[in-house]
This record gives sequence, C-alpha cells and structure tokens, in this order.
Amino acid sequence: MIVFDDVWFSYGDREVLKGVSFSANFDERIAVLGESGEGKTTILKLILGLIVPDKGKIIIDGVDITQLDEEELIPIRRQFSIVFQEGALFDSLPVKENVAFFMREILKLPDEQIYKRVSELLNRVGVIDAEELMPEELSGGMHRRVAIARALAAGKTKMFLYDEPTAGLDPINSERIMSLIEDLANKENIGFMIITHVVYVAWQLCNRFIFIKDGSILFDGNKKELILTEIPAVKDFIKELFFRVEG
Amino acid sequence: MKFITKIQKNIYDLQNFYLICINSLLKLFRKPFYLDDIVEQMEYAGASSVFIVSLVCLFVGMALSLQLSAELSGLGLKMYTGKIVGIAVIREIGPLVTALVFIGRVGAGQAAEIGSMILGHQIDTLRVYGIDPIKKVVIPRVIASVIMLPCLTIIGDLICLFGGYYIAVFVSNQSGSFYWSSIIKELTFENVFSGSIKPFIFGYLISCISCFYGLTTRGGAKGLRTSTTKAVVTSIVVVIATDFVLTRILLYALGFSV
Repeated sequence: MIVFDDVWFSYGDREVLKGVSFSANFDERIAVLGESGEGKTTILKLILGLIVPDKGKIIIDGVDITQLDEEELIPIRRQFSIVFQEGALFDSLPVKENVAFFMREILKLPDEQIYKRVSELLNRVGVIDAEELMPEELSGGMHRRVAIARALAAGKTKMFLYDEPTAGLDPINSERIMSLIEDLANKENIGFMIITHVVYVAWQLCNRFIFIKDGSILFDGNKKELILTEIPAVKDFIKELFFRVEG
Repeated sequence: MKFITKIQKNIYDLQNFYLICINSLLKLFRKPFYLDDIVEQMEYAGASSVFIVSLVCLFVGMALSLQLSAELSGLGLKMYTGKIVGIAVIREIGPLVTALVFIGRVGAGQAAEIGSMILGHQIDTLRVYGIDPIKKVVIPRVIASVIMLPCLTIIGDLICLFGGYYIAVFVSNQSGSFYWSSIIKELTFENVFSGSIKPFIFGYLISCISCFYGLTTRGGAKGLRTSTTKAVVTSIVVVIATDFVLTRILLYALGFSV
C-alpha cells in the first residue's frame, strides 16, 4: 500500500505540493490528473524515493521511505515498474540492449537467456523488428513500447507507474499504448498509476482519479464521482471528456 | 533575502561537488566495476582526442619557438631556443595546453552527456534499477580522465617539441642535433616530475567538475547549455589556478629557487 501523509515539496522557491495526502492499494488503477507543472510527476518520483519531500511521510508497505538511504530504497523501488515520459531509453544502447539492461547488469543472466527473454518481451509489445535499432531511430509510440518492454524485463513487480504514457503521440499510437497498458495489467493482474493531463486516457484505463491543482488534491474519487463533481476546476478539466463522449 | 538564498545555494552546490569528488574516490575500489564503461570512456577521452591535442600542441610549439628565436637572436642567444622550449613545454605549457583542449573536448562532452541523461530520466532509471550513478556514470569518466590526460600530455609535449624543432631548424636555421641535445639535457627528474604530476590532478578535477555540472542539470535545453558552459568555464579557471598553486609547491618541494 502507498500512503502519502501531508507531503510538502518545493523546487527552490516554488512550492509544488502543499500537504498532499492519499492512500492507494497496489491493485488499483489510478490516474493522477492535472495541468502541466502541477506536480504530478513529482508524486511519482516521491513514490520511488528519487526525491525527498520537505515535510510529511511517504509510506510504502508500512515503511516510511523518506527515512531510507539509497541502498535501503532499492527493494522499495523494485516493487514498481516505471515508464518515464518519452521512455527514458539509454540513447547509447540499441533497443535490445536497453531491454537487456536490467538482466545483464543486475540479474547477471547468461547472454542466451537474456536475448531469448528480450525477443519475448519485444514481441509482446509489438516491436520485435526494432531490436537492432537505436532509440533515436524509433517513433514516439515505439519508444514507449520499448520502454514498457524494458520495465517488464525488471521482473515481477507490484505496480506499474506510467508518466504521461501517451504524451506527444498521435491518436492511433495512443490507442495502441492504452490497450497495451490495459492488457499488461489484466495479464499480470497488477494495478497501475498513470500520470496524465489527457482526461480521456485516464477515463479509458482507470477507475480512480486524483486531481491536483495548486499543489493540493482537489478531487479523489471514482468514475461516477468524477462525472458528477461540482468542483469548478475539475469540471472544467474534464470538459474534453464530455465532448469526446458526445462526439 | 535573495542574496542569502543565493549564498545558501552556492554552499549547497559546493557541498554536493565535494561529495562527488569524495564518493568517486571512496567507491573506486568497491564492486561492481564497470570495465566496459571505463574502456568506452577511455576511448572517447583518449584515442579520439589525440588528433586535436596534437594539432593544437603543434601550433603552440611552433609559435613558442618562433617567439623565442626572434627574441633570443637579437641577444645572440638563439642556441638556447631548444633549452627554453624544452623547459617551458615539459614543465608548464604541455600539461596546461593539453588540459585546456581536454576541457573543451572531453569535459564539455561529459557534462553535456550526463546532463542529457538527467533530462531524459536515464539517471533516474539507473537509480530505480538500484544502480549507483556515481559508480556507473561518474567513476568511469574520472578513471578515463585521470589515465588518458597524462597520456595525451606526453603526446602533446612531443608534438610541441617537434613544432619547436621545425621552426628552430627550418625557419631560424639552428642545428637540429643541438636543439634535441639541449632538450634531452633538460629531461631531469625535477622537470619531468613537475610536468607529469599535473595531468593526473587536472584530469581528476576536470572530470569531477564536468560530472557535477552534468548531474545538476535542470531546465531543458537552456539548462543543458548553462551546465555545459559552467562546466567548461569552471574547469578552465580551476585548472589554471591549480596549475599556479602546484607550480609554486613543486618549485619549493623540488628545490628550485625563485
């Protein structure tokens, strides 16, 4: 379980999170919504212990991770599979070496086993033809799919974390990534947290929605509560959804 | 208030810089060792820099010899060109010029590469996997710089001396054998030690500064530009200042009178 207890965070003088509190189970499908610069990605980084809050507690499975050092954070981080915005592939390595990275560097598996698994994973995400390509030769959609394959290569985790998985993608590729995310969650039977500003993506994939505005959580609820909300900022934000549904 | 915040930020940055310097030494002999990364960085820092270092040193050697020949011939002391070129190049100009070229080529590259890894969340990915960025990213670059800068300095020194030889013999009409013999006479322990200790220290400082600015990159393309510029400017200032301090210490330690 993930618990945020009165978490405050600032980048220099700019306060990004102001007393954020929520809790989430690993099997939930959660969307963290909000406009750009509202601190959505910061929440994801805080969950992984990549940054430390100025105040408050972040408890993962009963452990307050704000008190842990880098060594102690390793098992916490390995409970999650993360797909950063735009993939975060190692640009000096070809696709297959990106996917092989964790198996080679951490698991120290033999080459034969690594490449067999790499082929399986690339096949699963539908980019098997790209295994010899360098990241700069990939399209945006392929980038995300390779990143998902790399996240899967890190082994069984408790929860997927996606940072803007469809940002910058055309509608067809967005649909592909969305169905891949849903398919993985169904097959692996684990939950995910999606950071996005595209309400339609969140609506299609998630059943819980957290809306952040000015560093605070303005809304936290399910689909029905989201659609019936009377909070002006949230209503305004989800307008796009009504246009889509009506369309 | 802003002034105090700025001072606090500078102290915090300095503390982080020292942490990188210290950690890169403390974690040097701790497993795992990323040998492939070290070799890759050595290739980038060393083999790929030979041409540019040679080119710059050739012209510096020629210019130095030209200036000395012109000045010394007026005094009737042209035959000392080799001796002075030898001392200047081995003790001072070779290590310094090579270090400055190294900053422009390798230091800037290291800062930009790590900065781009930060902006692209590649360093975060390493941390999520439980890989220490200091071990995987910083230490290979520090080792490569500390090994390759002295090697490049030796090559740079030789090319500098050849540049000086060309001018002394073919422009200033001096004896080539006398030029070389007066340089060989200057290859004393004091001179060679004084010139060869510097590149190790410069290499360490340049890579630590570059990695520090790379790791602290924030704010997109503009931030990357700022951090790369800061890495180059700071390295140049630190290397030149360190060169002065080292020269003073070495002259004293090796018994030269000033």
